[in-house]
Amino acid sequence: MAILSLAFKSLLNRKLTFFITLFSIAISVTLLLGVQTLKTETNSSFMKSISGTDLIIGSRGASSQLLLSSVFHIGQSTNTIQYATYQEIQKSPAVEWAVPISLGDSHQGYTVMATDLSFFDHFSYANKQHLKVHSGKIDGDMFAVVIGAEVANKLNYAIGDEVIVTHGGGEIEGHHHDNIPFYISAILSPSFTAIDQTLIISLEAMAAMHTDNHGHFGVLPGEETLATDQGHEHHDEATHQEHEHHDEVAHEEHEHHDEATHEEHEHHDEATHEGHEHHDEATHEGHEHHDEATHEGHEHHDEATHEGHEHHDEATHEGHEHHDEATHEGHEHDDQIHSEHRETQDQRVARLLKIKPEKINAIFVGLTSPQAILGMQSYINNYPKEPLSAIIPAVALQELWQFFSLAEIALNIVTVFVVLVGLLGMLSIILMSLNERRREMAILRSVGARPAHIFGLIIGEAGFVCFAGIVLGVALLYLLLAVLQAPLASYYGFYIDINMLTSNDLLILTVIQCSALLIALIPGWLIYKYSLSDGMSIKF
Amino acid sequence: MIKLTNLTFAWHQQAIIEIEALHIEKGQHLFIEGPSGSGKSTLLNLLGGVLTPQQGSISILGQSLQQLSSSQKDSFRSNHIGFIFQQFNLIPYLSVLDNITLPCTFSALRKAKVLKRSESLNAEAIRLLAALGLTDPALLQRNVNQLSVGQQQRVAVARAMLGSPEIIIADEPTSALDANHRQAFIEILFEECKKEDITLIFVSHDTSLKNHFDYHISLPEINKANANLVT
Repeated sequence: MAILSLAFKSLLNRKLTFFITLFSIAISVTLLLGVQTLKTETNSSFMKSISGTDLIIGSRGASSQLLLSSVFHIGQSTNTIQYATYQEIQKSPAVEWAVPISLGDSHQGYTVMATDLSFFDHFSYANKQHLKVHSGKIDGDMFAVVIGAEVANKLNYAIGDEVIVTHGGGEIEGHHHDNIPFYISAILSPSFTAIDQTLIISLEAMAAMHTDNHGHFGVLPGEETLATDQGHEHHDEATHQEHEHHDEVAHEEHEHHDEATHEEHEHHDEATHEGHEHHDEATHEGHEHHDEATHEGHEHHDEATHEGHEHHDEATHEGHEHHDEATHEGHEHDDQIHSEHRETQDQRVARLLKIKPEKINAIFVGLTSPQAILGMQSYINNYPKEPLSAIIPAVALQELWQFFSLAEIALNIVTVFVVLVGLLGMLSIILMSLNERRREMAILRSVGARPAHIFGLIIGEAGFVCFAGIVLGVALLYLLLAVLQAPLASYYGFYIDINMLTSNDLLILTVIQCSALLIALIPGWLIYKYSLSDGMSIKF
Repeated sequence: MIKLTNLTFAWHQQAIIEIEALHIEKGQHLFIEGPSGSGKSTLLNLLGGVLTPQQGSISILGQSLQQLSSSQKDSFRSNHIGFIFQQFNLIPYLSVLDNITLPCTFSALRKAKVLKRSESLNAEAIRLLAALGLTDPALLQRNVNQLSVGQQQRVAVARAMLGSPEIIIADEPTSALDANHRQAFIEILFEECKKEDITLIFVSHDTSLKNHFDYHISLPEINKANANLVT
């Protein structure tokens, strides 16, 4: 103990070199632990991307590709699952729930994902957490868009803002689906998954945007087209109206030819409602449409005896009809948004048609029991009607993570060298101090210190410097994590959990401490030799 | 008390010390005259048990050093011998008091002796400093490098005397002092050694000092190796 106190006092006597060594070790320890933390946090945030989903079904291909496109929204996805297949899989007895996912569009570089409302009920991440709404309300409206936290944050969006979706991914010049604007109905709380960078729309809206002629509903089966007008971005206002009006009438006619199914009634209700809505707004455009609207309404009255009027009185609109009624309180609010948001003719048509997409990209599936997973997977992989593949998310994530292991190893090697450099710095500083300390050693020898004491003095010094460096390094790490946690989460969507040091970290720190002691054997051995040869003779 | 018999020590095949016989009695104040290169520091290291002779024996206080292991020799040294060197006797990062009480870190025996006499190590150190004429309390607060050379040497004496070792070996302790201080220093050293009945071995190349001593020997005369070297 006396020797340790001597070592400590001797160190304090050399404050400058002591602190330089201390900081070089501390910084290397911070770096090493930081990389470890980053690695585990990246891994855990990666593994937390999806949970509670038993299978992801996509077209036949590499499982990593399906995982990347469906969960991380990375890479090209191809529309290859027939919607009919989804409907069939959904009906399978082992399937508790199935959520269709369709990708391919973007908004200012952010992915637009089309799905249906059940996505919010079933999709979960991390520890089976569901997506939480930060503001607004998840709205069943066809042209409502729910945006991720980062989208809202970076693009400065608020509830009710209009969003135009771009065809294709990325920020390359693409076709804007500006005929179908969306309004933001809800902003999600950060989940630190790809959902934060995603805009979620309805499948129907996705289908509406992707029908032929760039989504303009000008051409409908059996209709005479006004070909010259179609596809132009900027119609003359009057022509446009006329054209759309024409479309709509044609559409009505078209529908009348079909059998009057229940679903069709619904469409008519919508039409009616829309008409009235515009009527109520009493805007200029509303007036223009007045005739058309009432006309529609009349038609509706003539032809169907549905309780469309009651619906109208309640100020509902079509979006609510095919989704749960539990959100009735929201109607007023929704209508408010709608009244601010003027719908385009294409949207109104799309509402009438409400077609499901023909193809989707992926299906998230929850099974009734975990035992069914493998069976279901093999059933999907051998699906007779089209080539499909099903992946188990947890397994696929694990597989995908293996790709990063090389980078992980490289990073580890670099940090190990950083620590080594820190320790070598300590070695050189101790070695440099030896010559000036030979006098000190001679004095200690004269008062009875053994060579072992002198040796211990050096080892103790190295041990102490390294230990203090480790403590400081750990403190720096936590300081850094505490400071960076909030900005990392808000600017990069990367949430770092601040945890206790893992046993692995402690092992690493022990190895560092032991290496320091081992390295100190070099100056320790030298000073031992000096103290034997110098004895009590003071060398200058 | 101290008995050297047929002592031979060589370094790299070169004989440095060859002494047939040397006897030092208890309580003696012995002046050993030794110009540099006469094997002076080697002799001191042999006496301190830091170096081991190739031949012959050293017996101190009836204890034959060759019978002790090197760590036992280290303990023996710290228990029974105090050293004073020419200059830079003090460890720069320790306080004055810590420098004086340093031997007690390594010698339980001397620590016990100190505590028999004073209530604490520091009290004894202060008592010794006062006896050596260093009474200014401000001195204790100072960094040892801020002391004058004379003060440093007296602090070194206090350290050598702490816990009353039987022997004090002083290696050119006055060479860094001017004439006035040299005189005062030697007197005070003698006085304290007499009081404690300490055997003093004083080594110096400065022959003018030998008048202060009852006994003096010349190292080149008794060291045959040195004679061989010269001739």
